[in-house]
Amino acid sequence: MPTNVIMPALEMAQETGKVLKWLKVPGDSVTKGELLVEIETDKVTVEIEAPASGILRDVTARAGDVVPVGQTIALIFAPGEAGAPAPAPSAAPAPAAVKAAPDVLAHVARQATTARAAASPKARRLAAERGLDIRVLHGSGPGGAILAADVAGAPSAARPEAHGVGTVWRIMAERMTASWTTAPHFYLVREVTVSRLVSWLPQARKQTGARITYTDLLVRLVAATLARHPGVNASWKDGAIVRNADINIGLAVAIDDGLVVPVLHRADTLSLAELAARRGDLVTRAQAGKLRPADIQGGGFTISNLGMLGVDAFNAIVNPPQAAILAVGRIADRVVALNGQPAVQPTLVLTLSCDHRALDGARGAQFLGALAELIEEPLALLV
Amino acid sequence: MSERELTYGEAVREAIAEEMRRDPRVFLIGEDVAEAGHPFKTLVGLVQEFGTERIIDTPISEPGYAGIGVGAAMTGMRPIVDVMFGDFITLTMDQMVNQAAKAHYMSGGKIKVPIVFRTTLGATRRSAAQHSQSLHAWVSHIPGLKVALPSGPYEAKGLMKTAIRDDSPVVIFEDKMMYRVKGPVPAEDYTIPFGVAEVKRAGTDVTIVATSSMVAVALGAAKMLEETGISAEVIDPRTTWPLDKQALIDSAKKTSRALVVDEGYERYGVTAEIASVIAEGAFYHLDAPVKRIGAMDVPVPFSPVLEDLTVPSEKTVFEAAKTLCGKA
Repeated sequence: MPTNVIMPALEMAQETGKVLKWLKVPGDSVTKGELLVEIETDKVTVEIEAPASGILRDVTARAGDVVPVGQTIALIFAPGEAGAPAPAPSAAPAPAAVKAAPDVLAHVARQATTARAAASPKARRLAAERGLDIRVLHGSGPGGAILAADVAGAPSAARPEAHGVGTVWRIMAERMTASWTTAPHFYLVREVTVSRLVSWLPQARKQTGARITYTDLLVRLVAATLARHPGVNASWKDGAIVRNADINIGLAVAIDDGLVVPVLHRADTLSLAELAARRGDLVTRAQAGKLRPADIQGGGFTISNLGMLGVDAFNAIVNPPQAAILAVGRIADRVVALNGQPAVQPTLVLTLSCDHRALDGARGAQFLGALAELIEEPLALLV
Repeated sequence: MSERELTYGEAVREAIAEEMRRDPRVFLIGEDVAEAGHPFKTLVGLVQEFGTERIIDTPISEPGYAGIGVGAAMTGMRPIVDVMFGDFITLTMDQMVNQAAKAHYMSGGKIKVPIVFRTTLGATRRSAAQHSQSLHAWVSHIPGLKVALPSGPYEAKGLMKTAIRDDSPVVIFEDKMMYRVKGPVPAEDYTIPFGVAEVKRAGTDVTIVATSSMVAVALGAAKMLEETGISAEVIDPRTTWPLDKQALIDSAKKTSRALVVDEGYERYGVTAEIASVIAEGAFYHLDAPVKRIGAMDVPVPFSPVLEDLTVPSEKTVFEAAKTLCGKA
């Protein structure tokens, strides 16, 4: 009896597969396990191994043919076996004959790690109560099942730390994990002289009568720069770059429960005094836990300022789905080279973290350069 | 409380005698119950005290005298219908299931059927397949019937008295292998409420729910387990209906492991019902699947060697409990 080579089912809902290319031609001698044919589904391309050793014959599906799953596409005759007509097609695919391409393997591996671990109901409950991920525990029960004792014996280091986190912290953790694990980050660093900014601040306060901060000045300047570099005010979404219609700037605010990012909507349309007032209101309400959903939605770009905590410079994680985040360090007197001489000037280190799917180095650098120039000479706002 | 000891059989007889003295409506009917004093000698002396009007011998016709009993109960008497072997309840099923269990409901509560069916369970008496079955699951299945399974002399007396005083039909299964087992039985009048389980032995590592004959087996296994460092709790439901679900669930929650032992057949049996009660009620506290041990799903063999293999033993319970505790 010849062995059937059949169109395998590689996915649950797959009905057909396409023959991409035969790696052997009829009459070739094949060895079991040898790669025989490339098959394509709407999701993956895989190479199918020969299910038996012998001579390949009766190839009924040619390159480009789309064939129902389970249908025989060729026969392999054992050496010496007569080339009889093809028997009835086999209904069931032979998974063992499928050698998955790397993307399929990755998919399978991912399924394996997310599969439900064998665990007793009690162990599951105890793990949940202690905030332990049951999948990382070692099971001592039948078949490696995780029992209550395995949970009790799990590294207790987690326990003193495991005071339950609130919603804010959990969301922060989830969003930062999503960003860090999916957005390819790169960082652009630039030191900026802020003599003009420093002298600008008291003037701005005097003129507006408002309690203007450096953050307000930066928001104003970032908004102006974003208007000129809309590519930075964007998101990577489903394989495309989506530019935001408005300039909505989020401010990272540390509160007792974690990190929140209230948004100054349409920051480019607000005066400094308006910005300061709105920023003050948002920060106050953030710290009081009184932010409304609308206050934290719609951000297109984020500024995170740790300067007041004495940080010189840092790399922030992009706030998804935004393309970039600006990390702002402290203003300090630093030695800079000026006209060939060392000089002491107040400077600030800006670090722009970018999602490389939505931004590249040049575009990010152009934005950062424009922002730096504006900070060094805010009068450019008028231009 | 008295330190007096009685055998299981004497406890049954005392309960019946006391209730017959207390209530003239109580009478007993069955085969070989009068002069013979019952093949298991549990009724010796009763006919001398109460006469053949109240201890009534019948021809060999279980359906016939069971019907007499149900009719008498409907009309104001409190009969005890003696079914010599539990295997013979197959013959009394219509009277039990379709008449006794239904009359109160179908008459809108106008008819009461205060009847006791007294019968036996238990293998290893070398009585072969037709005289060795434990069929209490059959009647535990029927709404309208209460089912008591005394596990020792104290329970034999207390549950029998409760059964006789109950206004519903009660089927009481005595373990025929325990009739000579002795234990403390108070001389004073006492009853044991239905639907209240008793913790026979407290423990922390595994709950062994055991019925009737299996309580002693479970206690023996618990002693063996103790030597291996496993603390077993043994709990006796005493009645399969009403069933003290909460006590079983609470015990399983405490120990996080449960083993159910009953001498009836395993499949579709009492063990299955109790295991499901525990699995449902204590699910999030269980650290192992609920394990059942019942009689092997075969006709009980006559061969002593084979017969002994078909019922749970201290050793099988011990091994199963050890496995549950991960110490096999």
